[in-house]
Amino acid sequence: MFRALWNALAKLSDANPKLYTLVWAAATVVFIILTSLAVASLARLITKLFKKNRLYQQRTFGGYLFASPWIVGFLLFVVVPTALSLYWSLTRYELPNPPQWVGLDNYVKLLTSDPDFRVSLLNSLYMTLFGLPLQLVTSLVLALILYQKMRGERIFRIIFYLPVMLASSTAMLTAWRLVFNPNNGILNLVLRGLGKSFRPASWLIRAVVYVGDLAGSLFAGLQRGNLNTLQSTLAQGFPHVGVVPLWHQSPLWSKPALIIIGVWSSGAMMLIYLAALHGIPSEILEAAKVDGASSWQLFRRIMLPLISPATFYNVVIGIITTLQIFEQSYVLSDSGGPAQSQYFVAYYLYRSTFRFNKVGYGAAMSWVLLLILLLFTFFQFRLSNRWVHYD
Amino acid sequence: MGNPKPNPRKLSGSKHRDPGHVAKESVRQALLYILLILGSIFTFFPLFWVLSVSLKTRAEANAPQLVWWPPKPHWDAYIQVLKDKDWLTYLGNSVFVSVLAVAGTVVSVAAVAYAFSRIDWPGRNVFFFLMLSTLMLPAQVTLVAQFVIFTKIDWMGTFNPITIPGFFAGSAMYIFLLRQFMMTLPREYDEAAMLDGANHFQIWWRIILPMCRPILATITVFLFVAHWNSLQAPLIYLKRKSMHTLPIGITTMRNPQMVDQPWPMIMAASALTMVPLIIAFFLAQRYVLQSYVLSGTKG
Repeated sequence: MFRALWNALAKLSDANPKLYTLVWAAATVVFIILTSLAVASLARLITKLFKKNRLYQQRTFGGYLFASPWIVGFLLFVVVPTALSLYWSLTRYELPNPPQWVGLDNYVKLLTSDPDFRVSLLNSLYMTLFGLPLQLVTSLVLALILYQKMRGERIFRIIFYLPVMLASSTAMLTAWRLVFNPNNGILNLVLRGLGKSFRPASWLIRAVVYVGDLAGSLFAGLQRGNLNTLQSTLAQGFPHVGVVPLWHQSPLWSKPALIIIGVWSSGAMMLIYLAALHGIPSEILEAAKVDGASSWQLFRRIMLPLISPATFYNVVIGIITTLQIFEQSYVLSDSGGPAQSQYFVAYYLYRSTFRFNKVGYGAAMSWVLLLILLLFTFFQFRLSNRWVHYD
Repeated sequence: MGNPKPNPRKLSGSKHRDPGHVAKESVRQALLYILLILGSIFTFFPLFWVLSVSLKTRAEANAPQLVWWPPKPHWDAYIQVLKDKDWLTYLGNSVFVSVLAVAGTVVSVAAVAYAFSRIDWPGRNVFFFLMLSTLMLPAQVTLVAQFVIFTKIDWMGTFNPITIPGFFAGSAMYIFLLRQFMMTLPREYDEAAMLDGANHFQIWWRIILPMCRPILATITVFLFVAHWNSLQAPLIYLKRKSMHTLPIGITTMRNPQMVDQPWPMIMAASALTMVPLIIAFFLAQRYVLQSYVLSGTKG
């Protein structure tokens, strides 16, 4: 009978996938209720065995009943997958073939002889080193301006937060791709127009392009271990009149384009800063003013230390988010290019696991990603003793 | 982008009244407003551009001249998108996936947050710590193994992998947010109801949840945005075109082989895709912006 039911369901999944999922959803709800009751009863039974009083038993039953959806989900979707992924990371596993034990081979290959992984790791590092600080500064400046009881503060808050909702939408990113379009994108049309009509602007654009090209090719050189790109950039000399950045079509400008999108959506960090600023007791600021502190001193010596927990929070969350950049490279690049300049860790993991079916290798990569995150966070916490002040 | 140096603070209590100071003060205010307005222009520009391009003809949109706003705006692209069978399928799939996943997640998150805030039970602290530590676990660690498991149980090519896991209160962030809010509600409510003979389910559903409306609205909006924008999981699990969601659909509208893209139609589709996000945000913006005070610095 069970077999027949299963086959009927499988047929339904082809004929009407939505109804199929609704059936599964209903079954899931029943499953959750039953497991919750079972877990809660078990917990109560244990308290009974330990001869706890009636109230204690009731609290235990209620607590486990309500927490069980998460406890069961944690086992099914976190603990079991994590354990399996650890095992599979030590195997060569390409679905549908069974996994073959290879020991630490995947890790050794990842860390020593996979140039693609090194490139994507360094690209992610680039975003953390250059993108994140720009986001922090932008959001802090916006928060400081809005902190001054400006009229219309609420409206500006809404405006600056709106991009956070849209930032990872492929619709929005497609629009950015159009804006950045090197030939007839609006940004480059404006830059070209400015350069033509206004001489100093032309010099400025050329200088920025030159500096960007040099920095980008230096980074690419360090990434690849040869300085050919830097040499050719130097050989070309100062850019000619009318030059514009080629954004996502140039290996040197694709990441700066992503940084601009990141800065555009730094409203969440701004709100964190704003909440922290409003948390500063006004007596402290008043006292400092009475003591004759200048505005800069007030900011540097009092406000910045007092909002350092917010900075810490933003940095930790920011690193996690930059390591997981995926949509951006999926939409703004054609398969991570040009010259793999938009290969980021999460994107490379997606490609090798789900496009090229290297499950064991992908699992190893996810563990390396986790270790890097833990390492980062550990150092953050160690360093934070020096600059984060809790009260 | 800016730099934090010119940052004189204006304090509510400062009492300088000489005319020179007042003049300086208003110049400063004006400068700050100019900065804010420049920032707003930068924020809105891409959205304005979506609208502008969607109202152009295909020739205008691909022309190498700068046209800020089409001389004769027309809505053909929108009509074309709304008549497009594929796009309507993507829309239906996105609505289905988002509504089902959000409903399941919000209810289960509300239950779990109740357990973590308003009942004292042995093991609560241990599980709470475990829950918080999953915040640090990158999605990729479980993603790879989940992919294998879902393949083995024949969930590949169905909507199940992107909707069902949510039913198990899958977002620690929102459990935490809701729990923080529930902690602030006075205990007397539960105790009085308990004395009247109410059980936990009644207290949760009739007393606590109605008081949590603002934060539940916030969580609903955040979850809706996450599912509406979700790209990676649908790409992995939804193989058939008839099951694709809007984020995948938009990326397939652009043909990389062509020089001359149907930009007005792509931008019309993008605009229509973003409208629900913008509406959801504006309906709940008051609560969404407030929630940062709650989660804020103690993270």
